[in-house]
Parts: sequence; C-alpha cells; structure tokens
Amino acid sequence: MEITRIIGEDAITIAVEGRLDTVTSSQLEQEVSDLFEQEKSNIIFDFASLEYISSAGLRVLLAAQKQVNALEAEMRIIGANDVVKEIFEITGFSDIMQID
Amino acid sequence: MRRTFLLWLMVFMIIGFFATFAISFYVQTVQAEENGHSLIQLRIEDVKQQLDINIQNLEDIRTESDLNALAKVRALAKMVELNPDIIFFDEILEDIKVMLEVDEMHISDAEGILIGGTEAAFLGYDMASDPQSAAFMPALTDKDFELVQDPMPKGINKEIFQYAGVARIDLPGIIQVGYRPEKLALSMEVADIKNLAAGFRVGKSGILMIADEDGTIVSIGDTQYLDKSLEEYGFAQGDFDDPEARSLLATVNGQKSLFAYEDYEGYRIIGLLPADEMYLNRNSTIQLLTVFNLAMFTVIFILIAFLVQKKVINGIYQVNDSLQVITEGNLDESVDVRTNAEFESLSDGINTMVAALKGTIKEVETKIDAELYYAKTIQLAALPTRILETGEHHRFNVKGSMFTAKEVGGDFYDFFVVDKNLLGVAIADVSGKGIPAAMFMMEAKSLIKHYGLTKISVSEVLRKANQSLCENNRANMFVTAFLGIIDLETGVFSFCNAGHNPPLISRQGGDYSWLKSKAYLVLGGMEDIAYCEQDIFFEPGDRLFLYTDGITEATNSAQELYSEERLLKTINRLPRDMPIGDLMLAVKEDVDSYAAGAEQADDITMLVLEYLGGKTWKSQES
Repeated sequence: MEITRIIGEDAITIAVEGRLDTVTSSQLEQEVSDLFEQEKSNIIFDFASLEYISSAGLRVLLAAQKQVNALEAEMRIIGANDVVKEIFEITGFSDIMQID
Repeated sequence: MRRTFLLWLMVFMIIGFFATFAISFYVQTVQAEENGHSLIQLRIEDVKQQLDINIQNLEDIRTESDLNALAKVRALAKMVELNPDIIFFDEILEDIKVMLEVDEMHISDAEGILIGGTEAAFLGYDMASDPQSAAFMPALTDKDFELVQDPMPKGINKEIFQYAGVARIDLPGIIQVGYRPEKLALSMEVADIKNLAAGFRVGKSGILMIADEDGTIVSIGDTQYLDKSLEEYGFAQGDFDDPEARSLLATVNGQKSLFAYEDYEGYRIIGLLPADEMYLNRNSTIQLLTVFNLAMFTVIFILIAFLVQKKVINGIYQVNDSLQVITEGNLDESVDVRTNAEFESLSDGINTMVAALKGTIKEVETKIDAELYYAKTIQLAALPTRILETGEHHRFNVKGSMFTAKEVGGDFYDFFVVDKNLLGVAIADVSGKGIPAAMFMMEAKSLIKHYGLTKISVSEVLRKANQSLCENNRANMFVTAFLGIIDLETGVFSFCNAGHNPPLISRQGGDYSWLKSKAYLVLGGMEDIAYCEQDIFFEPGDRLFLYTDGITEATNSAQELYSEERLLKTINRLPRDMPIGDLMLAVKEDVDSYAAGAEQADDITMLVLEYLGGKTWKSQES
C-alpha cells in the first residue's frame, strides 16, 4: 500500500493506493493522527487507486470522521471504486460521511 | 561505511601529500637560499683575498723597484763625486742615462736650483717651487738623505712616473733620477680594482661587482655599467640600508636575484645570483619528490583500502548478510565470521543473542497460544448451541456455525427466544481482531440480547445497543450487525441491518436472492443514530441465510475475493432441501476449495433460519 499526502489550499489530500487491510491500515491511522496533531484542517481521502478496504480500514475512517466532527472541519472521500463504495453503502458509512 | 572511510582516507592522504610538498618546498627553498648565500659569500671572500694579494704584490714590487731606483741614483751620485764635471757634458749624461735605464737625470746646486741633467728644459728649475720636487730639498743639508717617491701621473698624458733622489756627495746638492716604472705600472694595473670583478663569477650566471664609497661601480664584468651608480644598475634605494641583512632577494636590473654585499677596505663588494639559477636545484628536487610522493601515497592508499576491505568490510558484509537472514525471520541462521578476534566476538555475541531471542519467542508463543485458546473457548462458549421451544409444534429450524481463523476474531451469531412466539436471530462482525475485538464482541452480543429480550422493536434494540457501545469507545471499534425477530405465529419478520452484509433469502425452495435491506450505520460508530426496521412475511419453507464477510472476502492465492456472486452461485447450486447444518458445511467447503490451502484470514460465520409455519410446535436441536 502507498500513501501520498498532498497539502492543498483548503484541504489536505491523502491518496491511498492498494489494499487497506488489517496490516496496512495502521499506516493510514498514523498518517491521519499525524495530521490531526497539526492545526484544524479539512481532509480529502483520495481512494481512486484503492482496491479494497477492510473493517480495520473503516475503523480509521470512522475515527477520522469523529475527529473532524469534533474540530468542525470537513472530510470527504473521493474516487472510490464500486467495490469500496458498496462497502460504504453496506456498512452505512455513506450515511455519515461525505462520499463523492 | 566503506565509501565514507575511503573518502576520509583520501582527504587525509591529500592533506598529507600537500603538507609533505609544502614542507619539502620550504626546506628546499631555505636550503637553496642558504646555498646561494654561501656561494656569494665565498666569492666575496675570494675577491677580498685577491684584493689582499694584489696589494701585497704591489708592495713587494714597489720595495724592489724602490731599491733598484735607489741603487741607480747612488751610482749616479758616485759618478758625479768621482768626476763632477760630467754634469756639464750632455753626451756623457746621455750615456749614463741609457746605462742606468732611467729616463731623466737632474743635479742641483746647494740652493736646490737645477744646474745639470738630461733635460735641458729643466735647467734653472727651483726644486723648492713645487711640493713634489720640494720633497727632495732636505738632501741639501743631510748627506745621508735618500728618497724614492710614489709613482704618480706626470705631464699632459698623465704617464706614471717616479722619482728617486740622494744628496750629492762632493758638494751640497741633489742628485735625482726619474723613470717610468713599467713593471710597477703593470702590477698596478693588475691591482686595479677595475679589472678585478670581471675575473669572478657566482655560480654559472651570477656576477660580482665592486663599488666605491660613493656608490659608483668601479669594477664589473659588463663594462657598460662601469662608473655608473648602483641605482643605475638597478638596485633600489634602500637595498643597502640595513647592514644586518646579509642576504636579500630583490629585483635587480629586471632580474630577481639573491644578493649579498660586504664593505671591505673602503669598497663595497656585491655578489648577485639570479633566483632562477638559485632555485634550479630546488625545482628539480621538488619535481622528483612530487612524483615519488604521488606514487608512494597512491600505493599506501590502495594498500589501506585493500586491507580494510579484506579485514573489516568483508566481515561486516558477511555479518550483515547473516543479520538480514535473521531479520527476515530465520532465527536458525548463525553468524560465523572468524577472520579476527573482534569479528569472532561479534559473531558469538549475535549468535548468543539470537539463541536467547529464540527462547524468549518460544516462551511467549506458548503463552500467547494458551491465552488465545482460552479466548477462543470463551468466544465459542458464548454462542448458543441449541434452542428449546416451549410448545409442541415444530415451527422453525435455526442453526449457526462459526469457523474461527487462527487469530481470535470478532464474529458472533445468536438466536434467542423472546417469548413463546418471538424468536430473535442475529449475526455480527466486530472490526479488528484479537482480544480487544473478542471483548467488544462479547459486549455487543450481550447488549443485543439484553435489549432484544425486553420486547422492544428491533430498531430500538439496535439504537440502544449503539448508544451503549458508543460510550467510552476510545479504540473506535464498531460492529456490523443484522438483527431480526420473527413472529412464529404470523411469520412476520422484523429486521434491521446495521452495516452488515445483506442476507440471502430463499422463498419456499426457490433460488436465493439478496434480502433488500436498508443499510444503517454500524453499531458503535457514532452516537444518536436512528435505526428503522423493515418487515417481511415468511412463508413456510422460507430460508434466511446470514453470513459474515469471512466468506465473501476469503481470498485465493491471487488475492481475489470469493465475492457475493460466487456465494450466490454456490448456494443456489446446492439442493434446496439440504439440512441447514449441511448447507453451511457445503458453503464452507466451497470457500475452502476456493482459498486452496491459503490460511483463513477471518472468522467464517453463518446462521440459517428456516421457517416451517405457524402450526408445528416441537423442540429443536440446533
């Protein structure tokens, strides 16, 4: 799995490539927690190259969403493929997250 | 490390090389100047010696010449005594002059007035009238008077001429002879400073020159500078200011030169040695040294690099290779570099450490295995095995099965009797794995069952369970859950899906299809989520198949998911009337054959509910 961080004007984009499973999601968790140590910022998860997300990956997103809500910032998920989108649908994540 | 080492080695070598070069250059320069200076000093000494010899020679010749002249004038005095009249006979005097090899002869009277001699023009000349001739005046009164004068220029052509005189023996008077002191003139010529410097050289191209007290060059090889001042030759004002400076480098006459000078006998003897010549030796020595040093330093560098590579680097690489193997997980690898005592000790140290590590890992593994076993036992023990109906009719079959992965997972299924007509079924999957997931699963399971038994609606059960699970959920864990409660009398099935995989349903022996269910957020994900329930009617013979993503996300060796499609295909391929326990086993078998030996990554959990209708009423084995 590859994680790329792009710092934009309004938001920080975290692009994830490959599979987000039990092993790799801890990397993303670290990346996200590093991000929250800095000032309040909007986050965009770019999942265009994400092949699969496991419950461990969902947990990281859920934690990020809670954090974003607490900071009154915004979080968006973009580019997710159908498999990943379906997982968001099934788990109800699409109800509480902004998934484009 | 090797590159860094070689880099530093090279830096030090280069510094060493240049330091050696600088020191050699300095020493050679000092040596060259010292040598040059000695050379000039030596020549100056030679000049001084030659000056001394010339002066001495001159004196010797003069003494001899003086004695000679004196003898001649005495002989003339004796002749005049014997025959005083000869002074009046010019022919006799001419003869005597030739005999005595003199050029002039003069005889005076008692008053010092010339009365005879070879030079008629001087007759009557008063000897007292000129200081040169007056020097002979004492002879008039002193019978023993003798005088040989210093040679001096005479007449218009300034020819060197010398006079000698004695007292007349028979009468008072002066007897005098004059002559050209040719030998003396010659020695004076030799003694003449003017020609001295031309005979000396300093080294090959260095020169000597002599200046008088006024700074005028009186002797130099190159005659164009004769009688010129030192400044005109090219010396700078101040070159001779410091008598202590024995040796100086200065640009003289457009050429950089080492020069030294010494003041001697009223002269300044100056020696010049061109810098080019002085440094000739140094430059060739430095060239040779540079080539030699370059070769030597290169050899040393290669030698050190080779030795370090052989004795240290190779050993480090070997140790590193072994460590790489160990890091990759092969704790049976041993390090065996025995090229020297240090590596031997390092190898032994690493081997001991790896052995200790192996022991510890084994210990911990045993402990963890035991703990996981207990955890698994608890997890499995929490699952219901059979359900006892309180009536006589056999209205349903329900059965669950769970195949755990090696690591403790967070799946569970549950079925429970709410009252004599209501049966609850649930399946859930906790995010993550291990003990935390197992504990969260226990909590979720008891909450769902607890609220489920309070006879509130399915949606309310999930809402309350969600609220409870959200409290203190610092690890951000969540659980996907499907809960349904069936009224066994009417067949009404109320369900709610909190983020779980949609179940499959088969109507009265027909093909399975997805039970359309609205997906709500997983439990524990976020507080204050509103869940709504959906109702469907079950007909006798309907089957509901619940499962967890351990099935659909099982992967083969190519990391491809088992997928919903394959599950649907498999389950539809199986006979509809298959006993529900066998049905689950058959699905598991298909998953296993798909995974083809790959280790099961997640728990595989299934639950099948078969509705038989409102009439039958019997105890059921699960």
